[in-house]
Amino acid sequence: MSDLDRELESELHRALDPLSAAPLPPRRLARTHMPARTVLGGAGAALGLKILSGVAVAAAAVTVAGAATTGSLNPTVWGQQVTQQVASCKAQLADGQHGIGDCVSTFANQHGQAVASSARQHGNGNGNGKDKTNNGNGNGSGNGNGSDKSKSHSPKDPTTTTPPTVEIEPTDPSSHGPVHVTPGP
Amino acid sequence: METYEAGSEADFERLYRNTYHRILGTLVTMVRDRATAEDCAQETFERAYRSWNSWRPDAPVEAWLHRIAINVAISDRRHQGIRQAGEIIRRLGRPEPGPDPASVAEHSDMLAAMKKLPPKQAAALVLRHYHGYSNREIAAALGVPEQTVASRLGAARKHLQAVLGR
Repeated sequence: MSDLDRELESELHRALDPLSAAPLPPRRLARTHMPARTVLGGAGAALGLKILSGVAVAAAAVTVAGAATTGSLNPTVWGQQVTQQVASCKAQLADGQHGIGDCVSTFANQHGQAVASSARQHGNGNGNGKDKTNNGNGNGSGNGNGSDKSKSHSPKDPTTTTPPTVEIEPTDPSSHGPVHVTPGP
Repeated sequence: METYEAGSEADFERLYRNTYHRILGTLVTMVRDRATAEDCAQETFERAYRSWNSWRPDAPVEAWLHRIAINVAISDRRHQGIRQAGEIIRRLGRPEPGPDPASVAEHSDMLAAMKKLPPKQAAALVLRHYHGYSNREIAAALGVPEQTVASRLGAARKHLQAVLGR
């Protein structure tokens, strides 16, 4: 054994022996959390989470876009209403008259106001969270489809197949007289 | 010689009581300070506990623990540079903190020089010269050929001689 070896042993015992006299700390309990990679399996975990996130975001975007555009979560309803209105406006045109833009625009405005009003009643219009009186869900999209528990619809009833419709507020007939379209040049 | 049954909660507690200070001694020579060594020792026993069910008494249990501890210390040394950079940024403009009173007693030039060795060389030195393992036992504990152990010990001695000027 060389001098260095002896010195090494001597120094190690001088420095480390006092450690044995220190009180034994309590054993740290093994962490019980299970990392995501253990649950889902290695690299697949990250990929799986990304795919799930992407699908969720896309679904949410489609829902919000649909609601914002049509005023209803069911775009078919609003589309049918517009089609009917366009036909009605065309029928009201006298011979030689052109342009139904104002007519359709008026209908669209009425629809927008009705949906906004309905949303406010159900607590959906301003995204302020739950309305204690109406249990609106406060989703801020103004779509008029709040989860009002006081409503009579029963989502658990499998026989209910009627698509959701938008209730248009009653309006004063006098303020919506016949459409006058000025003849074009 | 103590015997242990894999998977036994009581035996693991006994293992902890019997070996904690020896594992801590090894770690103190490998990581920067006493607090880090204590943290690494706890991490060692956490990892050992997770594998306790599958432990097989092919080799001495303390050698198995040392192998885990050395891996923990190596991992800690890898991250030490990042932590040091963070501490320097946090300390900017403040005075250097004084030495930790708990580590003053353990301070020696030899120990300081050992902490600068590659961790596997430091581990070989402490297992050989503090715990009294033979080269063969060290080789079994670390899972390397005996010749590798001899090579590491030789390199470590050479490095210490150069640093300590002997």
